[in-house]
Amino acid sequence: MTDVELIENIKRDLGAKALEVTNPDRRRIFLKVGPADLVPAVTVLRDRYDCRYLATISGVDKGEMFEILYHFASPAANINVRTEIPKASPHVESISPTIPGAVLYERELQDMFGMVIDHIPDPRPLVLPDDWPAANYPLRKDWKFERPQEIIPGGKS
Amino acid sequence: MLNKLVRWSRIKSPWILHLNSGACNACDIEVIAALTPRFDVERFGVLLKATPRHADVIVATGPVTRQIKDRIIRIYDQVPDPKFVIAVGACAMSGCVYRGAYNIYGGIDQVIPVNVYVPGCPARPDAILDAVVKLLGKL
Amino acid sequence: MKFQIPIGPQHPALKEPISLRMTVEGEVIRDADIRLGYNHRGLEKLAEDKTWIQNIYLTERICGICSHSHATCYVQGVEKLMEIVPPKRGLYIRYLVSELERIHSHLLWLGVAGHEAGFDSFFMYTWRDREIVMDLLELISGNRVHYAINTLGGVRRDIDEGQKAKILEGIITLRKRSEYYFHIGANEPSFVARLAGVGLLTKEQAVSLCAVGPMARASGITRDVRKEDPYAVYDEMDFEVGTAESCDVLGRVVVRVKELLESYKLCEQILHKLPAGDIVVKAPRKAKPNEAVSRYEAPRGENIHYIKSNGSDKPERLKVRAPTLANYPATVEMLKNGFIADIPLIFAAIDPCICCAERTVSLVNIRSGEETVVRLSDLRRQAIERHKNAPPKRNAVWPF
Repeated sequence: MTDVELIENIKRDLGAKALEVTNPDRRRIFLKVGPADLVPAVTVLRDRYDCRYLATISGVDKGEMFEILYHFASPAANINVRTEIPKASPHVESISPTIPGAVLYERELQDMFGMVIDHIPDPRPLVLPDDWPAANYPLRKDWKFERPQEIIPGGKS
Repeated sequence: MLNKLVRWSRIKSPWILHLNSGACNACDIEVIAALTPRFDVERFGVLLKATPRHADVIVATGPVTRQIKDRIIRIYDQVPDPKFVIAVGACAMSGCVYRGAYNIYGGIDQVIPVNVYVPGCPARPDAILDAVVKLLGKL
Repeated sequence: MKFQIPIGPQHPALKEPISLRMTVEGEVIRDADIRLGYNHRGLEKLAEDKTWIQNIYLTERICGICSHSHATCYVQGVEKLMEIVPPKRGLYIRYLVSELERIHSHLLWLGVAGHEAGFDSFFMYTWRDREIVMDLLELISGNRVHYAINTLGGVRRDIDEGQKAKILEGIITLRKRSEYYFHIGANEPSFVARLAGVGLLTKEQAVSLCAVGPMARASGITRDVRKEDPYAVYDEMDFEVGTAESCDVLGRVVVRVKELLESYKLCEQILHKLPAGDIVVKAPRKAKPNEAVSRYEAPRGENIHYIKSNGSDKPERLKVRAPTLANYPATVEMLKNGFIADIPLIFAAIDPCICCAERTVSLVNIRSGEETVVRLSDLRRQAIERHKNAPPKRNAVWPF
């Protein structure tokens, strides 16, 4: 099935939920949905388009909004689902009940951006150290870091 | 007399502990490759040990991440005196490409005192052997 | 009566410091928990401050064993963003280095698997042969690891006739030696019996937990990016994807062995079909606002990079997902209902960019609170002793 046919089928199945579909390259489809329609859209993709394999979840800081991309891979094409949530209240529903392998990636989003994933099975932080000060989210664009002074052993510093 | 004997045995057979503090594993593979038949560090009497309490020399790689800093200090304290530290690779010397990252302190010498620095990214096994021999020569 | 065993960050068995907490009941593991973060170097934030070319050197140093994989995945993505197409000869050389890297990584892993199963001479033999591959890579690129042969729009160095002849010669030697080892491995009943039945991961579990690479292929799922999403030269080459049906550590060994033999075939095909021409095309300094998803089959599984540009000469967002992270939920599943003595083997089977060293395991008796330290080398020795005296499983056959 070519990309164009796939896009037609997806638009027909999702109807009003698919806000915007782009096809920048061969076998790459980017599909935008609203945050409330995320779990139904993912369920439709999993059942009818064989998108059971989630490659990863990326988060992008766009200033006022956060954009989350779910990268699925099916034998026909790579379907990437994106959704946007406001930075002031960054809540999004977890897709772990539908796709069990998504837990680690959602934990990383919580750590790095400060998003809140509702109904996540395991909310512990993933990569940041134990003594990391709370409410510091490294991947946000407005988070700056001051390097500590470096000690040169046995020399003049 | 006893001192001379002890010193001779230390030089002839140093036991090393391999410590990875958040590195990309390239230097670590070169350390392990130094054991394989091509470079063969065991002919110098060097043995790779698992636990800090049996080791004489710590071979450390990798930039120090925030999470592992306390563990490195604890391991350094567990090694009995006299102890020596070899910092292998550019990451262990100053942080390599990761300088300035929010989770990295810099080289190993920000945390524990270092005796020998081995440059390279990654350091070749021949360079690591050279470092071990030079350290033994200074003892 | 449940115990909790922490396997702490300084564990000689594996190169990467990670921390595991296992809840055990007797000898059987009931639950496992993995604590990442010792290796977190803040790469994605660093990448936003460096230009496109500087990021090649940064992504190379994500991992030391599959450094070319990350660099190539990144460069593929950026070339898609900038909409430039490298010349054929450049692509062939780039993927020749990829296949050589796959060979060296699988030989490394076979040595590690042998060491964990107690077969130390196998470890020494495979690593000695790995040196042949390292010499070839040094001939092509100048360094044993971190080859830096990629650049935006092609490769930096060319191959001449003398180097080509040397590579072909090296592959012939390696193939002869590899076949000899597999013959030994297959006819060694204790080795096969040690690996069979350990670390089971059914096909359903592998699909729902999104396993990648040889882990998924050993459970019967044919998932290989080179066949599904063929990039660059792979749709012109003739090769097969190796799978196994046994869903255990033995299956993973078989899959990697099959891949090793396919890689020899691929290297020879690439060298024979190498076209003449330029090796690089000039790349612009700035990229238009665009986004790209780049997938690549590293020796451990699928590598995926998501790159977004905003019109300047630095990326807006670089997201990297290495294959071992995708295999962690599957590892936790595999560890459940396994034995403590099988921990080193199961961990080595996912090939987590780690090498041999020992781990110190500390057993905490929950009731009395006292702590005893057991060295993993002791555990490994006990495991080897136990399996030496057990009757070999007569029905464990090398499925090759």
